[in-house]
Order: sequence, then structure tokens, then C-alpha cells
Amino acid sequence: MGIAFDLGIRLGISVILGLGGGLLLDSWLHTSPVFTLIGMALGIGAAMYTIWDVAHDAMRK
Amino acid sequence: MIHVEIAAETLFTIGGFEVTNSMVGAVLASLLLLAGAWYITRRSALVPHRLQSLLELPVEWVANIVQGSSTRWRGYVALVIGLFIMILVANWLSLLPGVGTIGINHEVDGHEVLTPLVRPAAADLNFTLGLAIITFVVFVWWGVRLHGPLGYLKELVGEPRYMAPLMFPIHLISELSRLVSLSMRLFGNVFAGEVLIATMLALTTATLFVLPLAFFVPAIFLGLELLFGAVQALVFALLTMTYITMAIAEGQGDHADEHPTGDDHDVQPSTTTASSPA
Repeated sequence: MGIAFDLGIRLGISVILGLGGGLLLDSWLHTSPVFTLIGMALGIGAAMYTIWDVAHDAMRK
Repeated sequence: MIHVEIAAETLFTIGGFEVTNSMVGAVLASLLLLAGAWYITRRSALVPHRLQSLLELPVEWVANIVQGSSTRWRGYVALVIGLFIMILVANWLSLLPGVGTIGINHEVDGHEVLTPLVRPAAADLNFTLGLAIITFVVFVWWGVRLHGPLGYLKELVGEPRYMAPLMFPIHLISELSRLVSLSMRLFGNVFAGEVLIATMLALTTATLFVLPLAFFVPAIFLGLELLFGAVQALVFALLTMTYITMAIAEGQGDHADEHPTGDDHDVQPSTTTASSPA
């Protein structure tokens, strides 16, 4: 159950971290919205990777 | 009037160093744990008496769970138990009378506001983030220890190498999400519990008509907080264990139990699978 809670939160946080990083880079380099979009895509990718990582670990056990 | 402060309030400063009410809560929890440890080490018996059994119960319970997580459980069992006990005591301390209700009154925008002398340690993001950073450093250290620094970096870059520009930031975000998730979950739950109890007290003491409810309604939520405090401590400790176990399993590959390396004296043949957190 703890892993399920953790996974749910990490999915959201991954997207927020990617998006936040992209927004910060854009405001710093004045390249909006290039890094915001890249950051969002990476965040969504990280969320998908997290699902795979947790599932892979569960299957290994 | 309900006054909710997300950040811990400064009580006084010592040479420019701000002492907040959540620090007082953390120090009180630490002192309580030290007193318990002192008692156990001074008056422990082979056949434990009631109080010793009570103090040893959570330690033994978590130790039994950690024992089944991996062959290297001895390397991190102390950290997992320490985190569990510290968070548990810090959370339950917040349910004592006086915590959050005894403080200093001062005026803010014409309203009288109470600054509590003691605030639950985990209701401050600095405390939970500190614990999460310890966990983060430990599981990264386990990864580096088993892969080597270059091996760990290669693990972050991923395979095939030409995918590195895409996979490295994805791995990095995924690793960082553990740190944020651990700290935000504990902080969110404990802080929400505090707000809930404050709201229930305020609602039930609002008018004379509902005043009798003030004796029963907050008690229900205090009972629930007792449960949530234990669950959150357990979740934090067991996720720490899971992250470290994952780092070890990745380091040893899928044949970890066939070819254990390093400290083989830790091998427990009958306990090689990881337990899932509650």
C-alpha cells in the first residue's frame, strides 16, 4: 500500500519537477516556451519511467 | 478565529540563528527517545519486564520487517528503525495537551494570534526534508557503493548510450521525485492533521449550543491522528527500506541471491525477499 501511495505522489511530482525546471530555465534564458515544453515532456517521461521502475522491481521480487 | 501558519514560527534568536517552535518539538522528541534509550540500557533484563517490552516492541517489529528485505539488511536496519521511532514519537508528541495550544499571544492586523511554544516537528517541511535528504543520500550511497561512482553514473545515463540526452534527465527527475515525495507526504499528512484538529475544536466551541460536542468530536480526530501518526512513520521508514533495497537489487542484478558480494556474513538464507510497505 505504501508503494502505491508513493507511486501516485511521484507521478505528479515528476511532472511538476520537469515543468518547474523548464519554466525556471525559460525565465532565466528568455526562451519561453521551449524549455517549458521540453521539461513537461521529460516530466511525463519520468512519470512513465517511475511506473516501469516500480513494476520492474515488484516483478523481480 | 483559526490561525494556520504553514511555516514554523520563530520563538527567539541566538546569535542570528532562529529557533522555531518545530525545533522545540523535534528536541523534545529527541530527549524523550534519549530518556527511553538510557532507561533500556541501564535497566534492561534478559527476560524483559513490562516497560522494557513496551519500548522494545516497535523496534523488534520493524527489525523483523527489515530482516526480510535483502541479504544486506544489517547495513541499514538502524537507519530504518531510527527513522520510524523518531517520526512516531514526534507525531504522537503533537497529541499531548499543551502542544499547539500553549504559546505567546501577539497582534497581527488587529487580531490576537497565538504563537505556540511547541509545534509537531513533522508539521515543518524543514524537518521532513531533512529526513528525506538523509534517506536520499543513503540510497544513493548504496548505489555508488555497489556500482562504483562511474557505474552509478552509467546507470543514470542508461542503455543504449545514444539515448543518454533523453534518459539522463528522466532518471534524474525520477530520483529527485523520491526526495520530494518522501518529504511532502509526511509534512502534508501531519500538517493537515493539525489543521483538522484545530478546525474541529474551533467549530465545536463556536457556539454554546454545540459546546458539549467539543468534548467528543475532537477526541475522535485525536484517535485518528494516533493511527495516522503511526502509519506515516511506518510508510516513511518502509519506503526508505524499499529505496535502499531497490538500489541494492539494481547493484547486484537479478542474481543477487546467487552471488552475494561484499559483506557475505550478512546473508540470511531464509530471508531473501523484500516485504512490501504496509
